[in-house]
Amino acid sequence: MDVINGLAQGFGVALMPANLMWCFIGCFLGTIVGILPGLGPAATIAMLLPLTYGMGPASGIIMLAGIYYGAKYGGSTTSILLNMPGESSSVVTCLDGYQMARRGRAGAALGIAAIASFIAGSFGIVALTLVAPPIAAFALSFSSPEYFALMFLGLALVVLLSGESLLKGLMSLLVGLWLTSIGTDLFTTQSRFTFGQSSLLGGVDFMIVAIGVFAIAEVLSSIKDREETQVLPVPRGLRNLLPNWAELKACRFAFFNGSITGFIIGVLPGAGSSIASFISYGIEKSVSKHPEKFGTGVPEGVAAPEGANNADTGGALVPLLTLGIPGGGTTAILLSALVLWGVKPGPLMMQDSPDVFWGLVASLYIGNVMLLVLNLPLVPLFAQILRIPVFVLHPLIFGIAIIGAYSVSGNLFDIGLLAAFGLLGFIMSQLKYPVSPLILGFVLGDAMERALRQSLIMSQGELSILFSRPISAVMLAIAVLILLSPLLPRFRQMKQQAISENG
Amino acid sequence: MRRDLVRDGDVISAAAIAALGVYVIATASKWDYTTIEGPGPGFFPIWYGIGMVALSLLLIGSKFLKPSVLREPAPVDWAGLSRAAVTWLAFVGCAALLKPLGFTISFALLCFFLVAFVFGRPLRTAFVTAAASAAGFYLVFSFALSVSLPTGLLGF
Amino acid sequence: MRARMIMPTCLALTAAVAFASPAWAEFKPTRPLELVVHSGPGGGNDILGRALIAAINDAKLSPVRIQINNKVGGGGASAAAYLAEKKGDPNVIGVFTSVWVTNPLAQAEANVTMRDLTPISLLVLEPAVLVVRADSPFKTINDVIEAAKAKPGTLKQSGGSVLARDAVVRQVLMSKTGARWSFISFPSGGERISALLGGHVDMMVIEPAEAGELIRSGKLRALVQFTEERLDEFKDVPTLKEAGIDVPNVPQPRGILGPPDMAPDVLKYYEDLIDKASKSPGWQKFVRDNLLQSKVMNAKDTSAFLNEHEKEMRDILSGAGVKLVR
Repeated sequence: MDVINGLAQGFGVALMPANLMWCFIGCFLGTIVGILPGLGPAATIAMLLPLTYGMGPASGIIMLAGIYYGAKYGGSTTSILLNMPGESSSVVTCLDGYQMARRGRAGAALGIAAIASFIAGSFGIVALTLVAPPIAAFALSFSSPEYFALMFLGLALVVLLSGESLLKGLMSLLVGLWLTSIGTDLFTTQSRFTFGQSSLLGGVDFMIVAIGVFAIAEVLSSIKDREETQVLPVPRGLRNLLPNWAELKACRFAFFNGSITGFIIGVLPGAGSSIASFISYGIEKSVSKHPEKFGTGVPEGVAAPEGANNADTGGALVPLLTLGIPGGGTTAILLSALVLWGVKPGPLMMQDSPDVFWGLVASLYIGNVMLLVLNLPLVPLFAQILRIPVFVLHPLIFGIAIIGAYSVSGNLFDIGLLAAFGLLGFIMSQLKYPVSPLILGFVLGDAMERALRQSLIMSQGELSILFSRPISAVMLAIAVLILLSPLLPRFRQMKQQAISENG
Repeated sequence: MRRDLVRDGDVISAAAIAALGVYVIATASKWDYTTIEGPGPGFFPIWYGIGMVALSLLLIGSKFLKPSVLREPAPVDWAGLSRAAVTWLAFVGCAALLKPLGFTISFALLCFFLVAFVFGRPLRTAFVTAAASAAGFYLVFSFALSVSLPTGLLGF
Repeated sequence: MRARMIMPTCLALTAAVAFASPAWAEFKPTRPLELVVHSGPGGGNDILGRALIAAINDAKLSPVRIQINNKVGGGGASAAAYLAEKKGDPNVIGVFTSVWVTNPLAQAEANVTMRDLTPISLLVLEPAVLVVRADSPFKTINDVIEAAKAKPGTLKQSGGSVLARDAVVRQVLMSKTGARWSFISFPSGGERISALLGGHVDMMVIEPAEAGELIRSGKLRALVQFTEERLDEFKDVPTLKEAGIDVPNVPQPRGILGPPDMAPDVLKYYEDLIDKASKSPGWQKFVRDNLLQSKVMNAKDTSAFLNEHEKEMRDILSGAGVKLVR
């Protein structure tokens, strides 16, 4: 009953014309700025935060929530059209989204991203409204061994992401693990693989790696192959601009998977939305009837990670609103914005500032609908980017990549790194090394090493802490099953051979 | 036979990763493998370093053991590769010019170079494209969105 | 006609200013100012920087815009290197904190020390409290110490980098009392608190503002505060001295600094600006809301303070077994 009363009050706040307008402005600006690679939700909110000074806390947080959501929607656009991830959680979207665009289904991919975002985003908010306290308690039960198991499970997905050669996939993964350990070791302040460069002390930013190995490498490859005429077929006619029924049907499970995976991983303070998008993609591929088609432009390969990315928003707000704990960079800046307005997020926020709390929740519902309505008509518009002739488009991609990389850290050193990763990605694609395991290793390696070391400090060196806890034991068992799965066909073959020899 | 092997990108790349693995192991062995608190900074790198060496040797080994994989490699598209290399060098050049010249000018130069020489368009087209896109970037990002772009000695 | 008259006057004035003796040269910014912080959006220094700018804007103290520039990476090393590069540029200042002092001590690559830069003004000292979960058996800091002595290494504290204040506080307590417990590093504040709330670690040293709501709602309990005098919000919590442990308080200073060799008139301008800003109602409210301790010092005193701080940290860190490079 409290929930219904609260929501009614929240909608009362959020539906006030002024607040509705702020929500719309937030969604709109968030989408526009979020499209730019490098400017993820956190940076977008930080950039637009000053606009909200002088508003009341309710209006302000409603606008910020709009920006948060808008930036999440905007992130997938460049992934699909230019193979350039708009933010770290849209990296996985490149794998199938860009391939769809190459097959002339750019509009469909953008449409599916928007629809998946809407469905999973709505699921995330409903879950936030209904089960926030118990799910927060569940998140707190996750300790370092569970995080280790989660990251290990994620790394096991390499088996599914490797394509032709598992060996090359594993090597690519190890290079990713190496790249992610560059920088300062948190536990001892030992600097690792920094080559004496102070710019490397903070490590390499994920966005720099992703823009380099995806976007820059893609431009180099297509210049090598002299894809002079239209690289990407431009969809014509409204029917070709939106997803068709068959594509939507293929995504049924992906919507569900993205919603659940994104929300649950979003709640965990030690895992981010990029991890959620990877894991949902892995789940999608492992249950698919045609896993071999992943990476060639299947719609569910777009729907799952984009859905997870948006359900993550609802999840990430759970610890923030119930406990006052920021789960990641974006919620950290929301927290600081709330504090600047004098609202104190925490277990008592629901009682102390119900208008802010429920206004925020209600505005998430409204913002989600608004973004779907705002984004679907934009799809045909964005798809027009592909009409730009290649000789203009390729330099433009370089320009956007430079600006995107620079906006991450404001350090020119990173542009040099961007060039290096572009070359690395190009060489890898020429030699048929899959790139996604490298990205996977980069995202998860750091967190896995940390969780392992935390666990072993907790247990004073006892390895048993990793598999004596039920949740982590189950996840590790699944990971081992996935790792052994490539041997399965061979095993079956041997068995069949044995049978035929005996018979 | 030998020449094919050397030209085989797999063997070269695997050798490169093996070398990286050796470097990782050598560097990481100087750091604490364990400390009084728990595993040290050298703990994890040593293991993936060993993995790198092992897997690359496995890949090289599989190339020798399975001659079937050693079929005549597809002819290398040297013209295409040199186009890509020139493009990449132009990008590096642009990155190097960002500090003295700032984004707008360096990007215009990069754009001009690519359009004129890599894509072989007339100089006029290249000039117009470069000027228009550089100005467009400046207007959209610096002016409208106030995203800070790298500025040069001239102040923009 | 008027315009023609004004032009030469302007020129003459400019010339007069340009040739004037440095004694009455005065700096006034004409371009937007840049405030460099070493944390990303939402980090401690970022919030402080944004609050300072908001306070300056509210009180209309600056003739030009001030914008935040997040130079993330290397625990302050990137931001420090950036400031060092801006030598002679009067339009850039930065927010420093304790890691700007400790980081160069422990890392060879972080080669810009506070001595290379120009400290302008200390702003605040952040107090800290030691918290445990509300259902923890520990009621006082001495319970913790006794338990840690009984079973060395089994109690766990969650925290950040080993150079951060919470780790330093642990070192100070351990070397004073002879107790030993382990320290588990987590990259973000959210993960540290989650580990404590989930019962995976036993205690945490935390800024009062960060823990305030969790204490008020009865999820956490503060055992001791690392302050000279009890904070108004924590009247029932003893200070370390009152609990009978006589060790120096490890402060977490935050303040403003500039690029190397700042010209005297520029330094004077910023000293005045920060001094005025620190008295503005917006800033006072921020300090109050976040339970900070206001401690505004001029440039000379700030330099002296930082030197002293560095000496103190050097002793503590080397005592803790951290390898120092400077």
